[in-house]
Amino acid sequence: MDQVTNALRGDGIALSFGGIKVLKGLDVEFRAGEITGLIGPNGAGKTSLFNCLTGAYRPQHGSITYAGTSLDGLPPAARAGKGIVRSFQHVALCPDLSVRENVMIGVARNYSAGWASAFLPLSAGRKERQDMAAAADRVLADLGLADSADLLPSELPPGTQRLVEIARAIVGKPSVLLLDEPAAGLNNSETRDLMKVLRKLASTDLVLVVVEHDMDLVMSICDRIYVLNFGEFVAVGTPEEVRGNEDVVRIYLGSDDDE
Amino acid sequence: MTQRLQDIAASSIASWIPVAILAALPFIVGGSWTFTLGLCFANSIGVLAVSFLVRYGGEVSIGHTFFTALGAYAVGVLDTRFGVSLWASVPLALLLGVSLGIAFAWPSRNLHGIYLAVTTLALALAVPEMINNLDWITGGYEGLYVSTPLVPGVEMGLQRYYLGLAMLVAVAAAVARFRLSRQGMTLLLAKTHPAAADAFGTRRVWARIAVMGISGGIGALCGATLAFSGSTVSPGGFTFWQAIFLLVGSVVSFYGLSLVRVLIGGAFVTLVPQLLSASGAWIPVFYGLSLLGMILLGHYLPRIQKTLARRKGGA
Ligand SMILES: Nc1ncnc2c1ncn2[C@@H]1O[C@H](COP(=O)(O)OP(=O)(O)OP(=O)(O)O)[C@@H](O)[C@H]1O
Ligand SMILES: [Mg+2]
Repeated sequence: MDQVTNALRGDGIALSFGGIKVLKGLDVEFRAGEITGLIGPNGAGKTSLFNCLTGAYRPQHGSITYAGTSLDGLPPAARAGKGIVRSFQHVALCPDLSVRENVMIGVARNYSAGWASAFLPLSAGRKERQDMAAAADRVLADLGLADSADLLPSELPPGTQRLVEIARAIVGKPSVLLLDEPAAGLNNSETRDLMKVLRKLASTDLVLVVVEHDMDLVMSICDRIYVLNFGEFVAVGTPEEVRGNEDVVRIYLGSDDDE
Repeated sequence: MTQRLQDIAASSIASWIPVAILAALPFIVGGSWTFTLGLCFANSIGVLAVSFLVRYGGEVSIGHTFFTALGAYAVGVLDTRFGVSLWASVPLALLLGVSLGIAFAWPSRNLHGIYLAVTTLALALAVPEMINNLDWITGGYEGLYVSTPLVPGVEMGLQRYYLGLAMLVAVAAAVARFRLSRQGMTLLLAKTHPAAADAFGTRRVWARIAVMGISGGIGALCGATLAFSGSTVSPGGFTFWQAIFLLVGSVVSFYGLSLVRVLIGGAFVTLVPQLLSASGAWIPVFYGLSLLGMILLGHYLPRIQKTLARRKGGA
Protein backbone atom coordinates (compact mmCIF):
# COMPACT_ATOMS: atom_id res chain seq x y z
CA MET A 1 0.00 0.00 0.00
CA ASP A 2 1.33 3.40 -0.88
CA GLN A 3 1.47 6.00 1.84
CA VAL A 4 -1.41 8.46 1.58
CA THR A 5 -1.06 11.48 3.81
CA ASN A 6 -4.64 12.14 4.90
CA ALA A 7 -5.42 8.55 5.72
CA LEU A 8 -6.63 6.85 8.86
CA ARG A 9 -4.29 3.94 9.45
CA GLY A 10 -4.38 1.09 11.87
CA ASP A 11 -1.39 -1.22 12.24
CA GLY A 12 -1.80 -4.60 13.87
CA ILE A 13 -4.94 -3.73 15.84
CA ALA A 14 -5.70 -6.59 18.22
CA LEU A 15 -8.58 -6.51 20.66
CA SER A 16 -9.88 -9.18 22.97
CA PHE A 17 -12.48 -9.39 25.70
CA GLY A 18 -11.66 -11.82 28.45
CA GLY A 19 -9.62 -14.08 26.22
CA ILE A 20 -12.02 -13.91 23.28
CA LYS A 21 -10.16 -12.45 20.31
CA VAL A 22 -12.47 -10.00 18.62
CA LEU A 23 -9.90 -8.34 16.32
CA LYS A 24 -6.85 -10.37 15.36
CA GLY A 25 -4.16 -7.88 14.36
CA LEU A 26 -5.81 -5.81 11.63
CA ASP A 27 -3.94 -3.54 9.23
CA VAL A 28 -6.16 -0.92 7.62
CA GLU A 29 -5.67 2.18 5.58
CA PHE A 30 -8.79 4.25 5.02
CA ARG A 31 -7.94 6.92 2.45
CA ALA A 32 -9.27 10.42 2.11
CA GLY A 33 -11.26 10.99 -1.06
CA GLU A 34 -12.53 7.43 -1.20
CA ILE A 35 -15.56 5.73 0.20
CA THR A 36 -14.43 2.59 1.97
CA GLY A 37 -16.85 -0.20 2.71
CA LEU A 38 -16.41 -2.44 5.73
CA ILE A 39 -18.52 -5.55 5.49
CA GLY A 40 -18.77 -8.90 7.19
CA PRO A 41 -21.26 -11.13 8.95
CA ASN A 42 -22.77 -10.37 12.36
CA GLY A 43 -20.21 -10.43 15.12
CA ALA A 44 -17.28 -10.12 12.71
CA GLY A 45 -15.91 -7.16 14.65
CA LYS A 46 -16.90 -4.21 12.46
CA THR A 47 -18.33 -2.08 15.27
CA SER A 48 -15.42 -3.08 17.51
CA LEU A 49 -12.98 -1.79 14.91
CA PHE A 50 -14.87 1.53 14.82
CA ASN A 51 -14.72 1.63 18.60
CA CYS A 52 -10.95 1.18 18.50
CA LEU A 53 -10.54 3.89 15.88
CA THR A 54 -12.64 6.39 17.84
CA GLY A 55 -11.03 5.56 21.17
CA ALA A 56 -14.08 4.00 22.80
CA TYR A 57 -12.12 0.73 23.09
CA ARG A 58 -8.42 0.42 23.83
CA PRO A 59 -6.94 -2.30 21.64
CA GLN A 60 -4.36 -4.44 23.44
CA HIS A 61 -1.95 -4.21 20.49
CA GLY A 62 -1.40 -2.03 17.49
CA SER A 63 -1.36 1.65 16.75
CA ILE A 64 -3.65 4.09 15.02
CA THR A 65 -2.60 7.21 13.14
CA TYR A 66 -4.44 9.91 11.27
CA ALA A 67 -2.61 12.02 8.69
CA GLY A 68 0.67 10.72 10.10
CA THR A 69 0.05 11.65 13.75
CA SER A 70 -0.56 9.00 16.34
CA LEU A 71 -3.95 8.80 18.04
CA ASP A 72 -2.87 6.19 20.59
CA GLY A 73 -3.87 7.11 24.10
CA LEU A 74 -6.17 9.94 23.03
CA PRO A 75 -9.64 9.71 24.61
CA PRO A 76 -12.70 9.75 22.32
CA ALA A 77 -13.46 13.40 22.97
CA ALA A 78 -9.96 14.42 21.88
CA ARG A 79 -10.28 12.35 18.70
CA ALA A 80 -13.60 14.06 18.04
CA GLY A 81 -11.70 17.33 18.39
CA LYS A 82 -9.52 16.20 15.48
CA GLY A 83 -12.64 15.74 13.39
CA ILE A 84 -12.92 11.97 13.76
CA VAL A 85 -16.63 11.37 14.02
CA ARG A 86 -18.95 8.41 13.89
CA SER A 87 -22.58 7.39 13.80
CA PHE A 88 -23.90 4.64 16.04
CA GLN A 89 -25.36 1.33 14.99
CA HIS A 90 -27.88 1.64 17.80
CA VAL A 91 -29.29 5.13 17.41
CA ALA A 92 -27.93 7.29 20.24
CA LEU A 93 -29.96 10.48 20.05
CA CYS A 94 -30.94 12.44 23.14
CA PRO A 95 -34.69 12.01 23.77
CA ASP A 96 -34.95 15.37 25.55
CA LEU A 97 -33.62 17.37 22.60
CA SER A 98 -35.44 18.20 19.38
CA VAL A 99 -34.15 16.74 16.13
CA ARG A 100 -32.53 20.06 15.26
CA GLU A 101 -30.87 20.26 18.67
CA ASN A 102 -29.58 16.71 18.38
CA VAL A 103 -27.95 17.66 15.09
CA MET A 104 -26.59 20.87 16.64
CA ILE A 105 -24.58 18.68 19.04
CA GLY A 106 -22.58 17.62 15.99
CA VAL A 107 -21.18 21.14 15.55
CA ALA A 108 -20.90 21.95 19.25
CA ARG A 109 -17.17 21.19 19.28
CA ASN A 110 -16.57 24.09 16.89
CA TYR A 111 -18.10 26.65 19.26
CA SER A 112 -16.90 28.12 22.51
CA ALA A 113 -19.28 30.70 24.01
CA GLY A 114 -18.56 30.78 27.75
CA TRP A 115 -20.53 29.79 30.82
CA ALA A 116 -21.92 33.26 31.40
CA SER A 117 -23.73 33.18 28.08
CA ALA A 118 -25.11 29.74 28.91
CA PHE A 119 -27.07 31.23 31.83
CA LEU A 120 -27.50 34.90 31.01
CA PRO A 121 -29.14 36.62 28.04
CA LEU A 122 -25.90 37.57 26.30
CA SER A 123 -25.46 38.03 22.57
CA ALA A 124 -22.57 35.54 22.28
CA GLY A 125 -24.79 32.65 23.35
CA ARG A 126 -27.68 33.73 21.17
CA LYS A 127 -25.46 34.07 18.11
CA GLU A 128 -23.83 30.72 18.75
CA ARG A 129 -27.21 29.03 18.98
CA GLN A 130 -28.41 30.66 15.76
CA ASP A 131 -25.28 29.60 13.88
CA MET A 132 -25.49 26.05 15.17
CA ALA A 133 -29.20 25.86 14.29
CA ALA A 134 -28.54 27.19 10.78
CA ALA A 135 -25.86 24.56 10.20
CA ALA A 136 -28.18 21.83 11.48
CA ASP A 137 -31.04 23.02 9.29
CA ARG A 138 -28.86 22.91 6.16
CA VAL A 139 -27.91 19.28 6.75
CA LEU A 140 -31.44 18.29 7.70
CA ALA A 141 -32.66 19.82 4.44
CA ASP A 142 -30.03 17.83 2.47
CA LEU A 143 -31.35 14.65 4.03
CA GLY A 144 -34.97 15.60 3.37
CA LEU A 145 -35.71 16.09 7.06
CA ALA A 146 -36.47 19.81 7.14
CA ASP A 147 -40.02 19.15 8.32
CA SER A 148 -38.89 17.07 11.26
CA ALA A 149 -36.51 19.61 12.78
CA ASP A 150 -38.81 20.58 15.63
CA LEU A 151 -39.97 17.09 16.51
CA LEU A 152 -38.54 14.90 19.21
CA PRO A 153 -36.61 11.82 18.03
CA SER A 154 -39.27 9.56 19.55
CA GLU A 155 -41.84 11.07 17.20
CA LEU A 156 -39.96 9.76 14.16
CA PRO A 157 -39.89 6.26 12.64
CA PRO A 158 -36.66 4.32 13.29
CA GLY A 159 -35.29 4.85 9.78
CA THR A 160 -35.65 8.59 10.08
CA GLN A 161 -34.01 8.55 13.49
CA ARG A 162 -31.03 6.93 11.83
CA LEU A 163 -30.87 9.72 9.27
CA VAL A 164 -30.83 12.22 12.15
CA GLU A 165 -27.94 10.28 13.63
CA ILE A 166 -26.12 10.64 10.28
CA ALA A 167 -26.99 14.33 10.08
CA ARG A 168 -25.38 14.82 13.50
CA ALA A 169 -22.25 13.06 12.31
CA ILE A 170 -21.82 15.02 9.08
CA VAL A 171 -22.88 18.49 10.20
CA GLY A 172 -19.57 19.34 11.85
CA LYS A 173 -17.55 18.91 8.64
CA PRO A 174 -15.58 15.90 9.91
CA SER A 175 -12.23 14.84 8.49
CA VAL A 176 -12.94 11.19 9.23
CA LEU A 177 -16.50 9.88 9.14
CA LEU A 178 -17.28 6.35 10.32
CA LEU A 179 -20.88 5.31 9.62
CA ASP A 180 -22.13 2.17 11.34
CA GLU A 181 -24.97 0.64 9.30
CA PRO A 182 -26.39 3.97 8.10
CA ALA A 183 -29.01 2.37 5.85
CA ALA A 184 -30.46 -0.08 8.38
CA GLY A 185 -34.20 0.47 8.62
CA LEU A 186 -34.33 2.94 5.72
CA ASN A 187 -36.81 2.48 2.88
CA ASN A 188 -35.67 2.56 -0.74
CA SER A 189 -36.12 6.24 -1.35
CA GLU A 190 -34.44 7.14 1.94
CA THR A 191 -31.54 4.89 0.99
CA ARG A 192 -31.25 6.62 -2.39
CA ASP A 193 -31.18 10.04 -0.66
CA LEU A 194 -28.53 8.75 1.68
CA MET A 195 -26.39 7.45 -1.17
CA LYS A 196 -26.62 10.82 -2.89
CA VAL A 197 -25.50 12.58 0.28
CA LEU A 198 -22.61 10.17 0.82
CA ARG A 199 -21.37 10.58 -2.75
CA LYS A 200 -21.52 14.35 -2.32
CA LEU A 201 -19.57 14.05 0.93
CA ALA A 202 -16.78 11.98 -0.58
CA SER A 203 -14.61 15.00 -1.21
CA THR A 204 -10.85 14.85 -1.43
CA ASP A 205 -10.16 15.50 2.23
CA LEU A 206 -12.72 13.23 3.89
CA VAL A 207 -12.00 9.70 5.04
CA LEU A 208 -15.38 7.99 4.74
CA VAL A 209 -15.92 4.45 6.00
CA VAL A 210 -19.28 2.74 5.83
CA VAL A 211 -20.23 -0.45 7.66
CA GLU A 212 -23.28 -1.78 5.89
CA HIS A 213 -25.23 -4.96 5.27
CA ASP A 214 -27.03 -3.50 2.24
CA MET A 215 -24.86 -4.93 -0.55
CA ASP A 216 -26.39 -2.85 -3.32
CA LEU A 217 -25.43 0.28 -1.45
CA VAL A 218 -21.93 -0.94 -0.65
CA MET A 219 -21.22 -2.19 -4.15
CA SER A 220 -22.48 0.94 -5.82
CA ILE A 221 -20.89 3.68 -3.71
CA CYS A 222 -17.65 2.20 -2.37
CA ASP A 223 -14.25 2.57 -4.00
CA ARG A 224 -12.64 -0.06 -1.79
CA ILE A 225 -14.10 -2.75 0.40
CA TYR A 226 -12.66 -4.55 3.41
CA VAL A 227 -14.29 -7.86 4.24
CA LEU A 228 -14.04 -8.88 7.87
CA ASN A 229 -14.78 -12.33 9.28
CA PHE A 230 -14.06 -13.48 12.85
CA GLY A 231 -11.79 -10.50 13.42
CA GLU A 232 -9.67 -11.06 10.31
CA PHE A 233 -9.75 -9.57 6.83
CA VAL A 234 -10.56 -12.19 4.23
CA ALA A 235 -10.46 -9.79 1.31
CA VAL A 236 -9.64 -6.20 0.45
CA GLY A 237 -10.19 -4.60 -2.92
CA THR A 238 -12.49 -2.88 -5.36
CA PRO A 239 -16.15 -3.97 -5.48
CA GLU A 240 -15.38 -6.11 -8.55
CA GLU A 241 -12.46 -7.84 -6.87
CA VAL A 242 -14.44 -8.48 -3.71
CA ARG A 243 -17.46 -9.72 -5.61
CA GLY A 244 -15.26 -12.22 -7.44
CA ASN A 245 -13.43 -13.42 -4.34
CA GLU A 246 -14.36 -17.02 -3.56
CA ASP A 247 -13.93 -16.73 0.20
CA VAL A 248 -16.18 -13.71 0.28
CA VAL A 249 -18.82 -15.40 -1.80
CA ARG A 250 -18.70 -18.39 0.52
CA ILE A 251 -18.86 -16.63 3.87
CA TYR A 252 -20.88 -13.62 3.01
CA LEU A 253 -22.36 -12.86 -0.36
CA GLY A 254 -23.37 -16.44 -1.00
CA SER A 255 -25.61 -16.66 2.02
CA ASP A 256 -29.27 -16.23 1.23
CA ASP A 257 -30.39 -13.94 4.02
CA ASP A 258 -29.33 -10.32 3.68
CA GLU A 259 -28.27 -10.05 7.30
CA MET B 1 -37.91 31.07 15.49
CA THR B 2 -39.15 27.55 15.96
CA GLN B 3 -42.20 25.90 17.37
CA ARG B 4 -40.46 24.65 20.46
CA LEU B 5 -38.76 27.93 21.15
CA GLN B 6 -42.18 29.51 20.94
CA ASP B 7 -43.40 26.99 23.46
CA ILE B 8 -40.60 27.96 25.77
CA ALA B 9 -41.37 31.65 25.26
CA ALA B 10 -45.04 30.99 25.94
CA SER B 11 -44.25 29.09 29.10
CA SER B 12 -42.04 31.93 30.28
CA ILE B 13 -44.99 34.28 29.80
CA ALA B 14 -47.12 31.79 31.69
CA SER B 15 -44.67 31.97 34.57
CA TRP B 16 -44.81 35.75 34.68
CA ILE B 17 -48.42 35.56 35.80
CA PRO B 18 -47.61 33.70 39.04
CA VAL B 19 -44.67 36.05 39.55
CA ALA B 20 -46.99 39.04 39.28
CA ILE B 21 -49.39 37.45 41.76
CA LEU B 22 -46.56 36.65 44.18
CA ALA B 23 -45.23 40.20 43.85
CA ALA B 24 -48.60 41.57 44.96
CA LEU B 25 -49.12 39.11 47.84
CA PRO B 26 -47.43 41.05 50.69
CA PHE B 27 -50.07 43.73 50.25
CA ILE B 28 -52.83 41.15 50.69
CA VAL B 29 -51.69 38.61 53.27
CA GLY B 30 -50.28 39.06 56.75
CA GLY B 31 -46.68 39.31 57.90
CA SER B 32 -46.32 35.72 59.07
CA TRP B 33 -47.43 34.45 55.67
CA THR B 34 -45.00 36.80 53.99
CA PHE B 35 -42.24 35.32 56.10
CA THR B 36 -43.28 31.74 55.36
CA LEU B 37 -43.50 32.46 51.64
CA GLY B 38 -40.00 33.93 51.73
CA LEU B 39 -38.77 30.61 53.14
CA CYS B 40 -40.79 28.83 50.49
CA PHE B 41 -38.99 30.74 47.73
CA ALA B 42 -35.63 29.86 49.24
CA ASN B 43 -36.55 26.18 49.55
CA SER B 44 -37.79 26.22 45.96
CA ILE B 45 -34.26 27.13 44.88
CA GLY B 46 -32.98 24.15 46.86
CA VAL B 47 -35.50 21.89 45.17
CA LEU B 48 -34.32 23.31 41.85
CA ALA B 49 -30.72 22.41 42.72
CA VAL B 50 -31.70 18.79 43.36
CA SER B 51 -33.94 18.61 40.28
CA PHE B 52 -31.15 20.06 38.13
CA LEU B 53 -28.90 17.21 39.17
CA VAL B 54 -31.62 14.71 38.26
CA ARG B 55 -32.50 16.30 34.94
CA TYR B 56 -29.02 17.06 33.66
CA GLY B 57 -26.97 14.45 35.45
CA GLY B 58 -29.44 11.62 35.97
CA GLU B 59 -28.26 11.41 39.57
CA VAL B 60 -29.97 11.74 42.94
CA SER B 61 -28.61 13.64 45.92
CA ILE B 62 -29.63 13.19 49.52
CA GLY B 63 -26.96 15.58 50.70
CA HIS B 64 -27.78 18.97 49.29
CA THR B 65 -27.92 20.57 52.72
CA PHE B 66 -24.14 20.58 52.40
CA PHE B 67 -24.44 23.21 49.72
CA THR B 68 -27.34 25.10 51.27
CA ALA B 69 -25.42 25.30 54.56
CA LEU B 70 -22.39 26.57 52.70
CA GLY B 71 -24.36 29.41 51.13
CA ALA B 72 -26.25 30.21 54.32
CA TYR B 73 -23.13 30.41 56.46
CA ALA B 74 -21.29 32.43 53.82
CA VAL B 75 -24.05 35.02 54.13
CA GLY B 76 -24.46 34.64 57.89
CA VAL B 77 -20.78 34.89 58.76
CA LEU B 78 -20.06 37.79 56.43
CA ASP B 79 -23.11 39.63 57.75
CA THR B 80 -22.63 39.12 61.46
CA ARG B 81 -18.81 39.19 61.67
CA PHE B 82 -18.01 41.73 58.99
CA GLY B 83 -21.24 43.56 58.27
CA VAL B 84 -20.99 42.64 54.58
CA SER B 85 -24.32 42.76 52.77
CA LEU B 86 -25.76 40.32 50.27
CA TRP B 87 -24.36 42.21 47.31
CA ALA B 88 -20.97 40.73 48.14
CA SER B 89 -21.91 37.58 50.04
CA VAL B 90 -24.20 36.09 47.40
CA PRO B 91 -21.50 35.99 44.70
CA LEU B 92 -19.14 34.49 47.27
CA ALA B 93 -21.75 31.87 48.21
CA LEU B 94 -22.18 31.00 44.55
CA LEU B 95 -18.45 30.68 44.08
CA LEU B 96 -18.12 28.45 47.15
CA GLY B 97 -21.04 26.25 46.07
CA VAL B 98 -19.65 25.77 42.56
CA SER B 99 -16.11 25.12 43.84
CA LEU B 100 -17.15 22.55 46.41
CA GLY B 101 -19.58 20.97 43.95
CA ILE B 102 -16.62 20.45 41.64
CA ALA B 103 -14.40 19.33 44.51
CA PHE B 104 -17.00 16.71 45.41
CA ALA B 105 -17.57 15.67 41.78
CA TRP B 106 -13.94 14.86 41.04
CA PRO B 107 -13.38 12.00 43.50
CA SER B 108 -16.93 10.70 42.98
CA ARG B 109 -16.84 11.01 39.18
CA ASN B 110 -17.12 7.27 38.57
CA LEU B 111 -19.94 6.66 41.05
CA HIS B 112 -23.50 6.36 39.82
CA GLY B 113 -26.99 5.75 41.12
CA ILE B 114 -27.28 4.45 44.63
CA TYR B 115 -23.51 4.66 45.22
CA LEU B 116 -23.39 8.36 44.44
CA ALA B 117 -26.54 8.97 46.50
CA VAL B 118 -24.95 7.32 49.53
CA THR B 119 -21.83 9.43 49.04
CA THR B 120 -23.94 12.61 49.08
CA LEU B 121 -25.55 11.27 52.24
CA ALA B 122 -22.13 11.42 53.86
CA LEU B 123 -21.99 15.11 53.01
CA ALA B 124 -25.35 15.72 54.62
CA LEU B 125 -24.45 13.84 57.79
CA ALA B 126 -21.21 15.76 58.13
CA VAL B 127 -22.84 19.19 57.96
CA PRO B 128 -24.32 19.64 61.47
CA GLU B 129 -21.13 18.28 63.05
CA MET B 130 -18.99 20.63 61.04
CA ILE B 131 -21.15 23.59 62.01
CA ASN B 132 -20.92 22.73 65.69
CA ASN B 133 -17.19 22.13 65.61
CA LEU B 134 -16.59 25.45 63.91
CA ASP B 135 -18.71 27.25 66.52
CA TRP B 136 -16.18 30.10 66.90
CA ILE B 137 -17.26 31.29 63.47
CA THR B 138 -20.67 29.65 62.93
CA GLY B 139 -22.11 30.47 66.32
CA GLY B 140 -22.73 26.76 67.04
CA TYR B 141 -26.24 25.80 68.17
CA GLU B 142 -27.21 29.39 68.72
CA GLY B 143 -26.67 30.28 65.10
CA LEU B 144 -26.37 33.66 63.47
CA TYR B 145 -28.90 36.42 62.96
CA VAL B 146 -28.78 38.11 59.56
CA SER B 147 -29.89 41.71 59.86
CA THR B 148 -27.92 43.87 57.42
CA PRO B 149 -30.46 45.34 55.01
CA LEU B 150 -29.95 44.89 51.30
CA VAL B 151 -31.59 48.20 50.43
CA PRO B 152 -31.37 50.59 53.38
CA GLY B 153 -34.60 52.25 54.37
CA VAL B 154 -36.99 49.54 53.14
CA GLU B 155 -38.90 47.59 55.77
CA MET B 156 -36.91 44.41 56.55
CA GLY B 157 -39.87 42.00 56.28
CA LEU B 158 -40.54 43.16 52.75
CA GLN B 159 -36.86 42.94 51.87
CA ARG B 160 -36.75 39.36 53.08
CA TYR B 161 -39.79 38.50 50.97
CA TYR B 162 -38.80 40.23 47.77
CA LEU B 163 -35.20 39.08 47.85
CA GLY B 164 -36.43 35.48 48.06
CA LEU B 165 -38.79 36.02 45.15
CA ALA B 166 -36.16 37.81 43.06
CA MET B 167 -33.56 35.10 43.68
CA LEU B 168 -36.00 32.37 42.76
CA VAL B 169 -37.09 34.10 39.56
CA ALA B 170 -33.49 34.84 38.59
CA VAL B 171 -32.28 31.28 39.20
CA ALA B 172 -35.26 29.71 37.43
CA ALA B 173 -34.77 32.04 34.45
CA ALA B 174 -31.06 31.24 34.26
CA VAL B 175 -31.74 27.50 34.39
CA ALA B 176 -34.43 27.82 31.70
CA ARG B 177 -31.95 29.63 29.48
CA PHE B 178 -29.32 27.00 30.16
CA ARG B 179 -31.54 24.38 28.54
CA LEU B 180 -31.02 26.11 25.19
CA SER B 181 -27.28 26.58 25.55
CA ARG B 182 -24.57 24.48 23.91
CA GLN B 183 -23.42 23.26 27.32
CA GLY B 184 -26.96 22.37 28.39
CA MET B 185 -27.61 20.32 25.27
CA THR B 186 -24.35 18.41 25.55
CA LEU B 187 -25.04 17.64 29.21
CA LEU B 188 -28.43 16.20 28.28
CA LEU B 189 -26.81 13.97 25.66
CA ALA B 190 -24.11 12.90 28.11
CA LYS B 191 -26.83 11.87 30.56
CA THR B 192 -28.62 9.51 28.16
CA HIS B 193 -25.76 8.43 25.86
CA PRO B 194 -22.36 9.10 27.43
CA ALA B 195 -20.60 7.26 24.60
CA ALA B 196 -22.27 9.50 22.03
CA ALA B 197 -21.36 12.61 24.02
CA ASP B 198 -17.77 11.35 24.15
CA ALA B 199 -17.78 10.79 20.41
CA PHE B 200 -18.83 14.39 19.84
CA GLY B 201 -16.27 15.96 22.10
CA THR B 202 -17.94 16.06 25.54
CA ARG B 203 -16.03 14.02 28.04
CA ARG B 204 -18.33 12.31 30.51
CA VAL B 205 -16.11 13.33 33.41
CA TRP B 206 -16.45 16.94 32.32
CA ALA B 207 -20.22 16.48 32.17
CA ARG B 208 -20.37 15.13 35.71
CA ILE B 209 -18.18 17.89 37.09
CA ALA B 210 -20.16 20.59 35.31
CA VAL B 211 -23.50 19.26 36.56
CA MET B 212 -22.27 18.96 40.14
CA GLY B 213 -20.71 22.41 40.06
CA ILE B 214 -23.90 24.01 38.80
CA SER B 215 -26.12 22.07 41.19
CA GLY B 216 -23.83 22.94 44.10
CA GLY B 217 -23.90 26.59 43.07
CA ILE B 218 -27.70 26.63 42.95
CA GLY B 219 -27.75 24.88 46.32
CA ALA B 220 -25.55 27.59 47.80
CA LEU B 221 -27.85 30.27 46.37
CA CYS B 222 -30.71 28.49 48.13
CA GLY B 223 -28.76 28.71 51.39
CA ALA B 224 -27.91 32.37 50.87
CA THR B 225 -31.58 33.12 50.29
CA LEU B 226 -32.61 31.03 53.30
CA ALA B 227 -30.20 33.01 55.47
CA PHE B 228 -31.55 36.37 54.43
CA SER B 229 -35.23 35.55 54.01
CA GLY B 230 -35.31 33.33 57.09
CA SER B 231 -33.15 35.78 59.10
CA THR B 232 -31.44 33.09 61.20
CA VAL B 233 -28.82 30.54 60.25
CA SER B 234 -28.51 27.60 62.61
CA PRO B 235 -27.66 23.90 62.38
CA GLY B 236 -31.34 22.99 62.73
CA GLY B 237 -31.95 24.18 59.18
CA PHE B 238 -29.37 21.86 57.68
CA THR B 239 -30.10 18.50 59.18
CA PHE B 240 -30.10 15.24 57.31
CA TRP B 241 -33.92 15.42 57.30
CA GLN B 242 -33.79 18.74 55.52
CA ALA B 243 -31.69 17.11 52.80
CA ILE B 244 -34.33 14.40 52.46
CA PHE B 245 -37.09 17.02 52.29
CA LEU B 246 -35.31 18.74 49.40
CA LEU B 247 -35.29 15.46 47.52
CA VAL B 248 -38.94 14.91 48.41
CA GLY B 249 -39.72 18.40 47.10
CA SER B 250 -37.95 17.52 43.90
CA VAL B 251 -39.89 14.27 43.55
CA VAL B 252 -43.33 15.81 44.16
CA SER B 253 -42.59 18.46 41.54
CA PHE B 254 -41.51 15.69 39.15
CA TYR B 255 -38.00 17.06 38.90
CA GLY B 256 -39.47 20.06 37.10
CA LEU B 257 -37.22 23.05 36.56
CA SER B 258 -39.90 25.62 35.73
CA LEU B 259 -40.82 28.29 38.24
CA VAL B 260 -44.24 26.84 38.95
CA ARG B 261 -42.94 23.32 39.40
CA VAL B 262 -40.17 24.25 41.80
CA LEU B 263 -42.60 26.43 43.73
CA ILE B 264 -44.77 23.37 44.25
CA GLY B 265 -41.73 21.49 45.51
CA GLY B 266 -40.62 24.39 47.70
CA ALA B 267 -44.12 24.78 49.10
CA PHE B 268 -44.19 21.11 49.96
CA VAL B 269 -40.86 21.38 51.76
CA THR B 270 -41.89 24.52 53.65
CA LEU B 271 -45.62 24.40 54.21
CA VAL B 272 -46.58 20.79 54.73
CA PRO B 273 -44.59 20.40 57.96
CA GLN B 274 -46.03 23.71 59.19
CA LEU B 275 -49.61 22.86 58.30
CA LEU B 276 -49.25 19.51 59.99
CA SER B 277 -47.45 20.80 63.07
CA ALA B 278 -50.77 20.96 64.92
CA SER B 279 -51.20 17.23 64.63
CA GLY B 280 -48.43 16.32 67.10
CA ALA B 281 -47.13 12.79 67.03
CA TRP B 282 -48.99 12.10 63.84
CA ILE B 283 -46.87 14.54 61.81
CA PRO B 284 -44.69 11.91 60.15
CA VAL B 285 -47.71 9.82 59.23
CA PHE B 286 -49.54 12.76 57.70
CA TYR B 287 -46.39 13.84 55.95
CA GLY B 288 -46.03 10.42 54.45
CA LEU B 289 -49.67 10.31 53.40
CA SER B 290 -49.58 13.72 51.79
CA LEU B 291 -46.39 12.75 50.00
CA LEU B 292 -48.01 9.62 48.70
CA GLY B 293 -51.06 11.62 47.70
CA MET B 294 -48.99 14.10 45.71
CA ILE B 295 -47.09 11.40 43.89
CA LEU B 296 -50.19 9.39 43.04
CA LEU B 297 -51.98 12.52 41.89
CA GLY B 298 -49.08 13.46 39.64
CA HIS B 299 -48.88 9.94 38.32
CA TYR B 300 -52.56 9.60 37.43
CA LEU B 301 -53.41 13.19 36.57
CA PRO B 302 -52.33 12.96 32.90
CA ARG B 303 -54.40 9.80 32.45
CA ILE B 304 -57.42 11.30 34.21
CA GLN B 305 -57.14 14.38 32.03
CA LYS B 306 -56.88 12.21 28.93
CA THR B 307 -59.95 10.22 29.88
CA LEU B 308 -61.92 13.37 30.61
CA ALA B 309 -60.82 14.92 27.31
CA ARG B 310 -61.89 11.79 25.46
CA ARG B 311 -65.30 11.83 27.15
CA LYS B 312 -65.76 15.44 26.18
CA GLY B 313 -64.63 14.77 22.62
CA GLY B 314 -66.99 11.78 22.34
CA ALA B 315 -70.02 13.64 23.68
N1 LIG C 1 -17.80 -4.59 25.12
C1 LIG C 1 -17.73 -5.88 24.74
N2 LIG C 1 -17.58 -6.85 25.66
C2 LIG C 1 -17.50 -8.15 25.28
N3 LIG C 1 -17.59 -8.57 24.03
C3 LIG C 1 -17.75 -7.65 23.06
C4 LIG C 1 -17.83 -6.26 23.37
N4 LIG C 1 -17.99 -5.59 22.21
C5 LIG C 1 -18.03 -6.49 21.24
N5 LIG C 1 -17.87 -7.74 21.74
C6 LIG C 1 -17.84 -8.98 20.96
O1 LIG C 1 -17.04 -8.77 19.84
C7 LIG C 1 -17.57 -9.46 18.71
C8 LIG C 1 -17.71 -8.50 17.57
O2 LIG C 1 -18.75 -7.60 17.84
P1 LIG C 1 -19.07 -6.36 16.94
O3 LIG C 1 -20.20 -5.62 17.56
O4 LIG C 1 -17.84 -5.61 16.68
O5 LIG C 1 -19.55 -7.07 15.59
P2 LIG C 1 -20.16 -6.42 14.30
O6 LIG C 1 -19.32 -6.88 13.17
O7 LIG C 1 -20.35 -4.99 14.45
O8 LIG C 1 -21.55 -7.18 14.21
P3 LIG C 1 -22.99 -6.66 13.77
O9 LIG C 1 -23.06 -6.78 12.29
O10 LIG C 1 -23.94 -7.60 14.43
O11 LIG C 1 -23.14 -5.26 14.26
C9 LIG C 1 -18.88 -10.07 19.14
O12 LIG C 1 -18.67 -11.43 19.41
C10 LIG C 1 -19.22 -9.34 20.41
O13 LIG C 1 -19.91 -10.17 21.30
MG1 LIG D 1 -21.93 -3.74 14.55
